[in-house]
Amino acid sequence: MISKVLVAYDGSDPSKRAFDFGLDIASKYSAELLVLSVVRLPEPPVDVETESLVESGEEYYEQHFAELREQAAAVDVTPRFEVVVGHPAEQIIHKADEERFDLIVMGHRGRSFVERWLLGSVSKRVLSYAHCAVTIVR
Amino acid sequence: MTDMWTLATIWLGLALLATLLSIWLRIATALSEIVVGTVAQLIIGALISSVLLGTHQSWITFLSGTGAIMLTFLAGAELDPDVFKQQWKGATGIGLAGFVAPFLGCAAIAYYLLHWDARASWLTGVALSTTSVAVVYAVMLEIGLNKTPFGKGVLAACFINDLVTVLALGLIFSPFTIKTLIFAVVSVVVFAILPWLTPRFFKRYGGRPSELEAKYLLLFLFGMGGLAVWAGSETVLPAYVIGMVLAGTVGKDHVLVRRLRTLTFGLLTPFYFIRAGSFVSVPALIAAPIVFIILLLAKMATKFISVYPAAKTFFRNGKKEALYTTFLMSTGLTFGSISALFGLSHGIISRTQYSYIVATVIASAVVPTLIANAFYLPSHLLGKHEEEATTT
Repeated sequence: MISKVLVAYDGSDPSKRAFDFGLDIASKYSAELLVLSVVRLPEPPVDVETESLVESGEEYYEQHFAELREQAAAVDVTPRFEVVVGHPAEQIIHKADEERFDLIVMGHRGRSFVERWLLGSVSKRVLSYAHCAVTIVR
Repeated sequence: MTDMWTLATIWLGLALLATLLSIWLRIATALSEIVVGTVAQLIIGALISSVLLGTHQSWITFLSGTGAIMLTFLAGAELDPDVFKQQWKGATGIGLAGFVAPFLGCAAIAYYLLHWDARASWLTGVALSTTSVAVVYAVMLEIGLNKTPFGKGVLAACFINDLVTVLALGLIFSPFTIKTLIFAVVSVVVFAILPWLTPRFFKRYGGRPSELEAKYLLLFLFGMGGLAVWAGSETVLPAYVIGMVLAGTVGKDHVLVRRLRTLTFGLLTPFYFIRAGSFVSVPALIAAPIVFIILLLAKMATKFISVYPAAKTFFRNGKKEALYTTFLMSTGLTFGSISALFGLSHGIISRTQYSYIVATVIASAVVPTLIANAFYLPSHLLGKHEEEATTT
C-alpha cells in the first residue's frame, strides 16, 4: 500500500514528468504527496553569494510550485511543497527516510558523460541508497 | 581610451568565462574567478606580456577595491542582530578564541619555521585567522542546524571571528598617530549614528528609481574607507562594521540587498577576485608545495587548539559537537584573500608569500568542511529521524 509519495522536482522537463507520475499515483492511492526541491550550493560556499543563491533558489521554486499546485487541485490532491538546501541525492534520501515515505519518484536528466563524471548522477545515488521504492521516470 | 575599453572587454570576458565555469563545475564564483585570474595571468604573461591585464591601472584598482568594500559590507549585513543579542557571550568567546590562536600560531610558524620577516608573519597570522561564515552557514542549512540554538551560536561566533580579523588587519599595520585617533573617533560616531539615521532617511527619500539608497551607502562606505586609508588602515574594516550595524535595517531590506548584490557581483567582485588571482604565482607554488602544506596544517591545528576547548566551555558542547564546531571554524576564503591582497599591495609580503597564503586560504575553505561532515556530524541535535538518516 502506498500512502506517502515524494516527488523530487527541479523544474526540468523530466522532473515535470515525474510530478505527473507521482500525482497520478497519489490520486489513485489517495496518498500524501510531497514535492521536494533542492537548492544545490557551489563548493566552497562563499560569503554573500551563498545567501543570494538560497534566496533566488527558493523564489525560483515557489514560482514553479504555483503551477504544480493548480495542476494537483484539478485531480483533488493537495501536495506539500518544500525547498531544502544541500546535495540533491542526500537531501532526497534524508527526507524520505525522515518522514517514512513509501515511494520516491524522480526524473532522469540524461546528463553527458562529463557532467556525470564531475557531478555524479542524482538518480543513481538515490537508487543505490534509498530505503524505500524508487521510480525513475524517463 | 581605446585601450581602456579593450582592457575592460578582456576583464569582462574573463569574468564571464569564470561564471560559466562556476555554473558547469558547481564551484563558487569567487573561487572560479581567482583561478581564472591566475591562469589568465600565467598564459598571457607567458605568451604575450605580463602587463597586458593592466592589474595596476588605477581604474581596475578602484573597481577591485570597491568590490572588496561592497562584499565585506554585504557580508556584515548578513548578521542576525537578534541572535547575536541572545548569544553574544558564547559567540564572542568562541569568536575571539577562533582568532587568537590561529593568529599567533600561524604568525609564529611563518616567522620561526618559514623564516619570513615579522610583518609578513603577522600578516600571515591575520589572513589565516579568518572563518568563512558562508561555509558554516551552508553546512548548517544542509543539515538543518541553522535553526537550532547551537547553529545560531556558531554562526554568530563566525561573525565575531571575522570582525576581529578585520580589526587586526586595519590596526596592526597602521602607524598609531593622531590620524588613527581621528579615524577611531569618527568611526565610533558614524557607527553609532548610522543605525538611527539610515532607516529614517530611507523612509523619507527612498524607494525611488534614482537609487538613493545605493548612493547613500556608497557615500558612507567610500567616506569611511577614505578616512581609513588616510589613517594608514584598511577600507574593509569600516565596510564590515557598517554592514554589521546596518544588519537590522538595510540587511532586512531584501529588495535593496538584492540590488546591491547585482551591482557587486555583476561588475565589482569579478575585478576584485580576478585581480587577486592574477597575483598568484603558479611556479612559486610548484617550486615549494611544502610551504603551502605547512601553512594549511598550521591553520587547522591552531583552530583546533583554540576553538575546541572554547566550544566545550561556552556552548557546553559534547565532544563531537565541539569537534564539529572546530572544523567548521577552520574555513575562510573572502577575508583571507582580502588580507593577503592587502599585504601584497602594501609591500608587507612578497608575491611568492602571497601565493602560498591564497592557496592555503582556498584549501582551508574546502578541506575542513569535508572532514567535519565525514566524521563529526552532531546528528543527535537534529532529532531521532535525522540521526538514523545520517548514520545509515
